[in-house]
Amino acid sequence: MFSIQDEVGCYIACVADSGLLPWLMASLFMALLLFAFYLKARSSRSRISSFIAAQLCMLASIAMVVSSMQCSRMLTIEIYTAYVFLSTMLILFLPRIYYRILIKRYRARPVAELMEWPQVFVNSLKEQYKTPGMSEVYYYNSAVPRAFASGKTIFLSMGLLEIMDKAELKAILAHEVWHLRHNTRTPILRHLSMITFTRNFSESELENMADIFAADVVSRRAVESARSKMS
Amino acid sequence: MVKLDRINISNEGLTKFFSPIEAQIMTVLWENGECTTPDITERTGIPLSSVAGTLDRLVKAGYAKRTIDKNGQRVRYLYSASESMDRTANSITRKVLDSLVDTFGKVAIDNFHSYEKK
Repeated sequence: MFSIQDEVGCYIACVADSGLLPWLMASLFMALLLFAFYLKARSSRSRISSFIAAQLCMLASIAMVVSSMQCSRMLTIEIYTAYVFLSTMLILFLPRIYYRILIKRYRARPVAELMEWPQVFVNSLKEQYKTPGMSEVYYYNSAVPRAFASGKTIFLSMGLLEIMDKAELKAILAHEVWHLRHNTRTPILRHLSMITFTRNFSESELENMADIFAADVVSRRAVESARSKMS
Repeated sequence: MVKLDRINISNEGLTKFFSPIEAQIMTVLWENGECTTPDITERTGIPLSSVAGTLDRLVKAGYAKRTIDKNGQRVRYLYSASESMDRTANSITRKVLDSLVDTFGKVAIDNFHSYEKK
């Protein structure tokens, strides 16, 4: 019969006996320090790297606890393993199909049907930064100005194409190309925080870094005016 | 958006059947014919952030329609009302009357007759 008290007792006894306790404490302390650094850090790059390092420390702590267990058939460990396995599968495979679902749902069409240059601009950016694979730019019918990237596709709403001038649109496309270049980063960050049960604050960091890239490629003024038009 | 459960008879004018923003947009479309998005924001005085979502809803519900106008490097929507104001009034009236006759039968019809005599 499963009893949570027995399981907790098991964890305490096994970890204490295994000799890993000092390492576990050190790893948890390190994670705490890195989280503190993450909250204090100013630049997006150091915030993201400290967040990932803190997550890895948390992961190491979990691995130490699991490896020190001597008791057989621990229900909590079995549930946790299944959870990690399923979430990994989901994170790895969802981005490969999700953009196709979005194209259908939004009835999106290739933007080249309206104008050629956005696709040409994205292709040239990808070539310049040596990003493998094709990225396609699609537009969809909505007056609400919006842009987002999923899988290997950039989606722009008609409302966005309407209100932005060429420089602003280029800034938005560069921002989205950054997301596509780093599209492994967001799911991994999300995944790590799912496995270690910590909250993921990195969304706005990634947006900032994408804006910095867009400002480098186009201009800071274009990024700022596009942002102000969208808010 | 002219759903029977959303009709509010205590409101003034078109806002009995539409939300205030929907009513203002539809009035602009009925009065001016084809309009661009900036025309609509300018004439209603409502910011784009509020107008955009409402325009999507009006198009989806079939009260407004839009086409994409390609003009060199720029693209824009051209909006117009799907039906004249009279035809829309006709379909709204029919909806309300159907519902009244459905619920009250002969009493509703007798009332319409006496209303006509007034």
